Amino acid sequence: MVQQTITRTGAPKRGFFRELAHIYRHGDGATKLSFLLMGVGCIRRGQILKGLMYLACQVLFIWYIIEFAWQYLSKLNTLGTTGMQRVWSEERQLFVRTPGDNSLLILLFSVMSLLLLAAFIGLWRASLRSCYKAQVLSQQGKKLPTFAEDLRTLGNERFHMTLLTMPSLMVIAFTVLPTVFMVLLAFTNFDANHQPPGNMFTWVGLENFRNLFGAKPMMGNTFAKVLGWTFIWAVIATFSNYILGMLVAIFINNRGIKLKGMWRTIFVITIAVPQFVSLMLMSQILHEQGPLNSLLMQLGFVEQPVKFLTDITSARITVLVVNLWVGIPYTMLITSGILMNIPKDLYESASIDGASPMRMFFSITLPYMLFVTTPYLITAFVGNINNFNVIFLLTRGGPLVTEYYQAGKTDLLVTWLYRLTVDRQDYSLASTIGIFVFLISAGLSLIVFNLSGSSRREEEFQ
Amino acid sequence: MKRFLSLALVMVLALSAALPALAADPVKLKVWGSQDDQEMLKEMVAAYNEANKDNPVEVEFGVVGEPDARQRYLEDPEAAADIFAFPNDQILDLVKAGALLEITHNREAIEAANVPGSVEAATVGEFLYAYPMTADNGYFLFYDKSVINDEQVQTLDGMLAAADAAGKKVLMDVSDGWYIASFFLGAGGTLGIQDGVQTCDFNNERGVQVGEAIKAFTAHNAFMTGDNAIITGGMGDTIAAAVTGAWNAIAIQEKLGENYAATKLPTFTLGDEQVQMGSFGGYKLMGVNALTQYPEAAMALGEWLTNEANQLKRFEVRQLGPSNIKVGESDAVKANVALSALAAQSQYATSQKEVLGNYWLHAEAFGATMEAKDYSKDIKTLLDEMVAGITAP
Repeated sequence: MVQQTITRTGAPKRGFFRELAHIYRHGDGATKLSFLLMGVGCIRRGQILKGLMYLACQVLFIWYIIEFAWQYLSKLNTLGTTGMQRVWSEERQLFVRTPGDNSLLILLFSVMSLLLLAAFIGLWRASLRSCYKAQVLSQQGKKLPTFAEDLRTLGNERFHMTLLTMPSLMVIAFTVLPTVFMVLLAFTNFDANHQPPGNMFTWVGLENFRNLFGAKPMMGNTFAKVLGWTFIWAVIATFSNYILGMLVAIFINNRGIKLKGMWRTIFVITIAVPQFVSLMLMSQILHEQGPLNSLLMQLGFVEQPVKFLTDITSARITVLVVNLWVGIPYTMLITSGILMNIPKDLYESASIDGASPMRMFFSITLPYMLFVTTPYLITAFVGNINNFNVIFLLTRGGPLVTEYYQAGKTDLLVTWLYRLTVDRQDYSLASTIGIFVFLISAGLSLIVFNLSGSSRREEEFQ
Repeated sequence: MKRFLSLALVMVLALSAALPALAADPVKLKVWGSQDDQEMLKEMVAAYNEANKDNPVEVEFGVVGEPDARQRYLEDPEAAADIFAFPNDQILDLVKAGALLEITHNREAIEAANVPGSVEAATVGEFLYAYPMTADNGYFLFYDKSVINDEQVQTLDGMLAAADAAGKKVLMDVSDGWYIASFFLGAGGTLGIQDGVQTCDFNNERGVQVGEAIKAFTAHNAFMTGDNAIITGGMGDTIAAAVTGAWNAIAIQEKLGENYAATKLPTFTLGDEQVQMGSFGGYKLMGVNALTQYPEAAMALGEWLTNEANQLKRFEVRQLGPSNIKVGESDAVKANVALSALAAQSQYATSQKEVLGNYWLHAEAFGATMEAKDYSKDIKTLLDEMVAGITAP
């Protein structure tokens, strides 16, 4: 039998417009009036306080729009037309500036108002539902809940709503609002030449995206190459950490090693030092005139200082190696726990059959580990695509090259984005790149997770 | 009774409207300065209030170094200081963003009192946008007298040979658009602005020759690159000569002691002629926020903070080279080795006003390629790519 989700009122719960149409058709005069004036239906049925509160919300919202939001919303399509005016004042002998349209504030407050509008529509629908419910209950002759009883349900049956209000507001204000705002910036021309309050910026549609994909050859070339390096980096960084961390865990786990606890502790201590500190130290140590080069020259191993971080190939290898130093303790810990869970009889039966340790590793350990840690690998891969710290603190994205647009040979998309934002105030381009980073990360996560989900249905993995 | 009450009410209303006009509104200004300048700024403001007892100002100080001024201003223009100091390469960005108030009070007096280079750096279009404060933000050459003599220091090749013979280095941060420009500008290269886009001819025939000269320089055994920390740490020990500015003068003097010397930049070999290395002229300017609520008071205070007496004070306390002509001619300033070297170099200095933001990173990229001795592409290609990046709209 098909389960229809129906409230006790008989109105369908699914379908925004279907529900509203149902309420309109079956509502009486007071309920129909509630479409225009929130809460009238409740007042008519005796739920005076509740109805008045709905009405107050509506009045407050309309006042907010007229007094505050309309001046920004009305300019949303142009993002401002009259800039800052400079007027010569003869008696004061100076220029007086009257602020004009501030594109940044227009965009920000418009987005905020649109979100508030969405919330208000939700509230409007809630008021209609409660008016209709009151009507149905009174038609059926049942008692209507008083205001005090309604409040009590918020503490009991609807406690989940009370609890979730604050976090939802926080998420919307500090995550949803900034994200929508930043995404919209990618469709404007907000850069160093269009800085409010002196200048305005405006919508340019998909121009930034076209530039990134080749309309401006240097930018397109840079984007493609930096994207390529980001992928290479993410793949090598993730898998090198994983494999080597696993090997370290296996070595420590070996029956012949004494003082297993001490070895593990040594590795874990590197986690205790903040990554920030150790990376900055590393960049100083590996500097061309730094201690490591001085030591190598004094010992006679090299004649010229080794360009760890300034030569292109060396820089790339160096960041990968330093990333190993930072990441192996984590992967070692994760794989240690899983290793100890592999049933020992698998190894015993394999050694009876005459398998070498290498064979055992590839046939038993590796498949088991990969099966268990696939979600971790996905998160690590996506995390490495955005691994800002290691690259920025070691090389700042350098060495810079002439063929790139404001980017260097170890730049990831995020570090390039950072330089565009902070050094060049090229916010619109940076926002476009940010959108791509999001699409790549989210897309990869979804694809790989679905693929591994299909492999989860395997019962046997031998 | 009713009439009395209504009369009292009217009187109270009238008084409350009149009182704010009676009490003098204290003028509140916010001033930004670097950490080292805070003490000195406080003394200067106190002296200003002494001299202007009928128009005192209440000043709130903020610690914002000059290089950060533009960034901090653009973060929130309305919350920014009313008066702040900034280096002259930021003036174009600030004027474009509408950040600076045109200086219209006592403009002729200010322009007459300060060196022409500093006034030119503070003028954009037909308006003066800031008060010139210091004129020592350019660069020149410091060297160790015991390693390089006066004759060798005239040419770059001479310096390199002398340093190499003593097993020491000549330091220049070629991977910095500011320094590498000296080669190109000295050889006659130009940077300009046309229709809001940078024009740059560093990749013409002469520019390619200059590129080859830079390549030879960075390939030399005695060449070294580094930043301020390396200069002040290694001067005298491993470094015989360094291209840097007056901000390192005190530290270098301590390291070199008796062998401390400074002079203008040398000439370098271009083909078969010797060409004098140019430089960028650097000045620190004090600007007034265009959105300030008290423009008259802010302009008066800005003028005071950069007048002759206070520029002299700035030189005495912080060793900062003045832009004021009279102070610059005083014996104390003339005796300062670093500042007279800077004065000698300023004849060959170019203004940074024609340099837009895109120039720096691309020039740095070329310099970094040279420092890394990466010769996979030839000079012409590298210069073409550099200019393509610089002149991108």
